[in-house]
Amino acid sequence: MNELTFAKIDQTVLDTLKPPDRSYWLTVGILFAGALAGAACWIYQILTGIGVAGMNNPVGWGTYLINFVFWVGIAHSGTLISAILHLLRAGWRNPIARAAETMTVFAVCIAGLFPFIHLGRVWLVFYMLPIPNQRNLWQNFQSPLMFDVVAISTYLTVSSLFWYTGMLPDLAIVRDRATGIRKKIFTVISLGWTGAHEQWRHYARGYLFFAALATPLVISVHSVVSWDFALAVVPGWHTTIFAPYFVAGAIHSGLAMVLTLMIPIRKLFHYEEIITVKVLESVAKTIIFTGLIVGFAYGTEFFIAWYSQNPVEMAIFKYRPTGDFALGFWIMVVCNTIIPLLFFFKKIRTTIPWLFVISICVNIGMWYERFVIIISSVSRDFIPHAWGLYSPTMIEFGIMLGAFCLFFFFFLLFVKHLPSVSMTEMKETVEQGAGHGD
Amino acid sequence: MGTEYRVMGLFTDENRAVSAIEAIKDSPWPLRRVHSPVPSHKISDALRLKKSKVGYFTLAGGIAGFFAGFLLAAFTASQWNLVVSGKPVIALVPFFIVGFEFTILFAVFGNVAGLIHQMQLPEFTGLEEYDPRCSGEHFGILAACKADELEGLKAFFQTRGGEINIFSEKQEHQ
Repeated sequence: MNELTFAKIDQTVLDTLKPPDRSYWLTVGILFAGALAGAACWIYQILTGIGVAGMNNPVGWGTYLINFVFWVGIAHSGTLISAILHLLRAGWRNPIARAAETMTVFAVCIAGLFPFIHLGRVWLVFYMLPIPNQRNLWQNFQSPLMFDVVAISTYLTVSSLFWYTGMLPDLAIVRDRATGIRKKIFTVISLGWTGAHEQWRHYARGYLFFAALATPLVISVHSVVSWDFALAVVPGWHTTIFAPYFVAGAIHSGLAMVLTLMIPIRKLFHYEEIITVKVLESVAKTIIFTGLIVGFAYGTEFFIAWYSQNPVEMAIFKYRPTGDFALGFWIMVVCNTIIPLLFFFKKIRTTIPWLFVISICVNIGMWYERFVIIISSVSRDFIPHAWGLYSPTMIEFGIMLGAFCLFFFFFLLFVKHLPSVSMTEMKETVEQGAGHGD
Repeated sequence: MGTEYRVMGLFTDENRAVSAIEAIKDSPWPLRRVHSPVPSHKISDALRLKKSKVGYFTLAGGIAGFFAGFLLAAFTASQWNLVVSGKPVIALVPFFIVGFEFTILFAVFGNVAGLIHQMQLPEFTGLEEYDPRCSGEHFGILAACKADELEGLKAFFQTRGGEINIFSEKQEHQ
């Protein structure tokens, strides 16, 4: 860490932008093929009808909305790391902030696709937009689904602008070292940034406002997502704990995805001196914290169901760990609350393979959390004769696979074409003598 | 009409750059710009920079956003004018949420507009008198001088440990 200089930071990051080898393009090609397979499944669904998915009465919300909530959750840690930890002056955020912000932007894009897919008749999507139309149909903003349209589109816009603004000085660094067509492209996208004192004066202030605005936004967005459920009178959903529970869960899953993405990148791009083990350890410590909040929320749900003595509420919470979807419930509990506790051991949270495996476990666990919440509640509603089961079809799995491939496809393109570590923020860390984990 | 030279002193050490800025302010050579690879409080203090006005744009955007969001929700509700589940048509709590999201959105738009306006970006002419080393590890101080003062200004930077970059001369209008 002490050996890091401005020149070394630049060189390490700029080396990642060198022309990639064949294996890179092969991986990109495979991921693109996966995304195309997902697109083909969606086209088949559009042509055939939403019935090709496994959703039916009483389970009208299936994997599409599970994936929607999952990807919105993944998007949250980017803003946590870039905005909240920026305001808290946490030095360890600097090496991973750029990748986390990028993850946010792509994850919101992927999340935003799922309501479209879930609609079935996607060409009617404009019904959600408050635009003048021939039939004078206007949206009802008393619905949490309309809050969601506003919140997600705001989040996508804000996180994209935050990401681009934060990258501006780094784009200028690439411009100054590039030649040929790359220089021309980076000259345009860096907007003529020169690091002049007048530019820094406004930039530092504007970036601070970005962080200050993104912080309440990130909390509001997943609160709004939780109200999609909590404002419905469905057992297991209609609860006031949902907003903080969802926000904590979102950050939990997002931090896990940061580890999942950063560990291979660190190895492939020789970022060991920038993304130190201490940085990854700090993420792991935060995962312990969010995991405990999530575990507390799971317990509170059961307690409140018992404390209320509401027979329907009690029945659904008895059904979750023992009923048809019990496997999903126990995967959720073990992966999200038990396994992250292993990070209490220093040996485990400082060992890269352990960090990677546990991050994958948390990702799986958080996907199942959304499965348990969404599916179990609607499959066992108030009236026993209306109960029903749900299992995703191959079309739904295909679309889900396509979404994951698309996310990693975008991310892979990003790391090879734009600076994946903020050189400027790393230099600030070095300049201020503040550690970024060491 | 005389010829004005622009000379940039390049320093790898921030403290040396700051002392050069302090010194050049007492010299006959006008200081044009300072470039740095990172934002620097020391340079800001040496230049006695005022606080940026970007915040006013952000605030204006935020206020406009809240009313835009709330009024949009109120407008669409008034087009139906139906009482649903006993809730008022113009409902304060749900519309406040829409207002909140629009506050953030428009405040960010205001922030971006403020940045573009204040930083005057995109602006590519600044690259003509710019040394690419300033985005790497050098602090660049750009000062102007007349032809007969060129050697003096070069010596000024060099004695303080700086490297020199002289840009093509500009015609000064009198």
